[in-house]
Amino acid sequence: MSDSKNIDNDASSQGYWRMVRKQLFKNRVAKYSIRFIVVLLVFASCADIIANEKPLACNYQGHTYFPVFRSYLVSIGISEWPAELQNVEWKKLNYQWAVFPLIPYLPQNIDEANIHSVGPFDKQQVSSIHWRHWLGTDELGHDILAAMIYGARIAMLVGVVSMSIATIIGLIMGLLAGYFGDDRLKLTRAQIIFNLLFIVLGIFYAFGLRFYALNDALASSFISFLLQLMISVVMFIVMLCIGNVLAIPFEKIPFLGRKISIPIDIIVSRCIEVMMSIPTLFLIMAIIAIAKPSVILVMVVIGATAWTGIARFVRAELLRIRELEYIEAAHALGYSEIRTIFKHALPNAMSPILIAIAFGIAGAILTEATLSFLGIGVPADIITWGSLLSEARSKPTAWWLAIFPGIAIFITVTVYNLLGEGLTDAMDPRLRK
Amino acid sequence: MFILGVNAPSDPVETILTKQQGESGQSIKSIADEAAYNSVRHKLGLDLPLFYFSITNATACDTLYRIPKSNVRDNLAHIAFIYGNWPNVAQYYATLKQFETAVSKIKSDSSNAEDIISAKKNVSELYSDYDQGKINVALSKLNTVLSKPHSTLQSLAPKLSELKESEKYFIDHQSPYQKCIPVVHWYGFRNQYHHWLVSFLKGDFGFSYQDMRPVSSIIGDAMKWTLGISFISILLAYFIAIPLGVKAAVSKGSNKEKLTTSGLFMLYSLPNFWIATILIIFFCGGDWFSWFPAPGAAPIPSDASFMYHITQTIYRLILPVLCWTYTSLAFISRQMRGGMLNTLGQDYIRTARAKGLPENKVVWKHALGNSLLPIITLFANVFPLLLSGSVVIEQIFSIPGMGQVSYNALVANDYPVVFANTMFAALLTLFGTLVADILYAIADPRISYSKREIV
Repeated sequence: MSDSKNIDNDASSQGYWRMVRKQLFKNRVAKYSIRFIVVLLVFASCADIIANEKPLACNYQGHTYFPVFRSYLVSIGISEWPAELQNVEWKKLNYQWAVFPLIPYLPQNIDEANIHSVGPFDKQQVSSIHWRHWLGTDELGHDILAAMIYGARIAMLVGVVSMSIATIIGLIMGLLAGYFGDDRLKLTRAQIIFNLLFIVLGIFYAFGLRFYALNDALASSFISFLLQLMISVVMFIVMLCIGNVLAIPFEKIPFLGRKISIPIDIIVSRCIEVMMSIPTLFLIMAIIAIAKPSVILVMVVIGATAWTGIARFVRAELLRIRELEYIEAAHALGYSEIRTIFKHALPNAMSPILIAIAFGIAGAILTEATLSFLGIGVPADIITWGSLLSEARSKPTAWWLAIFPGIAIFITVTVYNLLGEGLTDAMDPRLRK
Repeated sequence: MFILGVNAPSDPVETILTKQQGESGQSIKSIADEAAYNSVRHKLGLDLPLFYFSITNATACDTLYRIPKSNVRDNLAHIAFIYGNWPNVAQYYATLKQFETAVSKIKSDSSNAEDIISAKKNVSELYSDYDQGKINVALSKLNTVLSKPHSTLQSLAPKLSELKESEKYFIDHQSPYQKCIPVVHWYGFRNQYHHWLVSFLKGDFGFSYQDMRPVSSIIGDAMKWTLGISFISILLAYFIAIPLGVKAAVSKGSNKEKLTTSGLFMLYSLPNFWIATILIIFFCGGDWFSWFPAPGAAPIPSDASFMYHITQTIYRLILPVLCWTYTSLAFISRQMRGGMLNTLGQDYIRTARAKGLPENKVVWKHALGNSLLPIITLFANVFPLLLSGSVVIEQIFSIPGMGQVSYNALVANDYPVVFANTMFAALLTLFGTLVADILYAIADPRISYSKREIV
């Protein structure tokens, strides 16, 4: 019985998504947007193969090497460079034969023959057409095309990672506010007291006591910091669990056992309003001002400020869904809250979230470009589209520094916006034919 | 905001003192400067505890905030954290200070100058070491310096042995389990947060670390520019966007409409800093057209006539206002189109048409009124957008508004300005929301705020 119901359920949910996909692909603009995003993702992930100073394959002193692929192995520690290839200038080696990538430059490489911003149509000091700087160079002799390709990687990373963070926060906040509203989250007094107490204690033991350990880990490497942070978070969660278990015997006391409903909706809504009332760029600048510049920080900060949009969508959707009869049925069947939320309520609220994510990625990419244009947040040695654009300000005659990165930002942002637009149309039942 | 300020990495006192000392560049290390350091610290109120209370482990001292320099403070807290006995560590700190005073009292001459420098270096090393090994290395180095024959520094030897004693004492008498006991300290109202909050509510935002000007006057000057330009561009955006949106909705499906709609969509995703850069490259001097003055051009002479002043300002503001406006323009007209399409599908519009009213009258009189309602609330969304945009555009066009002030303060670690600015931006946004709500209630008599659901 339950099996057949599940199959039904799956079939219908598959049907919905299939329909959305069909609608989406009917929309020509949305279809091409998706294709463009896929191409961009391929570019971003294969940046090492498309643009690199190392040859893809070469024969050096009688041995055949695949330096680009080998550098992956070296970076994870499986393999090592042979002695004759350690710290070499890859372009000046005497190869028997070598296949260089399409663009034989890294964004950090300085081409001494073509410094002081050589334009794409100017005469360039290069040995053959393969070595030409197709989009010119900047003041220091960096190849713009290589920088653009690696910039795509940063832009995509920032867009996806920061929106994942924003989605997680927004989903949780929206869920709490929308599903429970002001009346459904009921806790006993003992639970409230013990939770508050153990949150304080948890912060004290998991983060306060481990402050120096976390600090040292952050100074040494990001991975070890993540590990230490994980330990702290686990400690914190364990503390909370202990608190809830300890609360159980106290619930027997009538005063402590009385249930109080927590106005979680009001709390979350006020949080959202406070966040929304501060202009995003001012907030991000104020946060980034106090920390060392790093791309990860930029992602986290953008994610931590962008969740309000998603939270509002989720909340509005769940406020509607929680009144529907099938949720009532789920309650009547005695399903646990968690099961009702994640298996029944949330899947139906997914569609507006997708739209918000698509628009959010566009916004995140734009914000990151703005920040690196202003020179805050992203470290100076990482070249992004925004930092390329800011170089154009100091050198107004080098139009290629302004045009190409600008177009890249513009197209990427537009494409994500178009995708969001297409999703909105595809999920709108009024537009369905 | 306050939390951010406290966690700021650079020491504001040092910033001010280096500013006051001119560009001499020397940071305050010697004893003589410590008095100056403490007086500035006291003036800024940084010698008070941070908050009404604090929860620490039992090893930490509740009066730690009295120690002036933050790096010394952090280091002592770290030592106390490791060895778990604050009184002994405090004893060590006191001895170290005495030793430092003694070192600085010795007159330096050609024979011992090097030794004194090395001794001072080791002392400052001791201030920032928490690792037992490192402390011992610094101490033994001090020992070699002092034990040189015929040195005037030999008189310091008893002080050094005292220092060593105290170091050995806190290492021998450690009680590491102390740190697992949480302790709550209550400080009362004499704390930094309380002072900051009270003075903020009184309208006193402190002083800029850069030039000691009151923050309120800096922000007042900046706000004139930002609000003025925002106001102009909002007006412009509404005046252009509404007819545009209506036209697009009425002639839905025609080629011209499709072109406008997609054009507006593109405008919406055009990064404004890109457009601003391109406008400057191509239209402000340089190799192409020089129709407009370059940003940061010579200021308008103050003795110029009023009319000249006005025309010059307008002339210079054309490009910035253009960049400032187009995003919100695109946003509003897209919403206008959507709202208008919705309204045109309503029954009462069909009735109006059936009555035989001319199409113009139907659109502009019957439909527009109702579709304007959601556009009014957009004001609340557009306003923060403009404020955020101001950071970039003011920076590019060198307009001394809130965005630029904020950016410059940020680069110079001038936190009071940054935080007051951000608070003001938030207040302005709230004010914008309020205005939008009031306008909405005026425009639509059905809406009352006595009982409202926030969605």
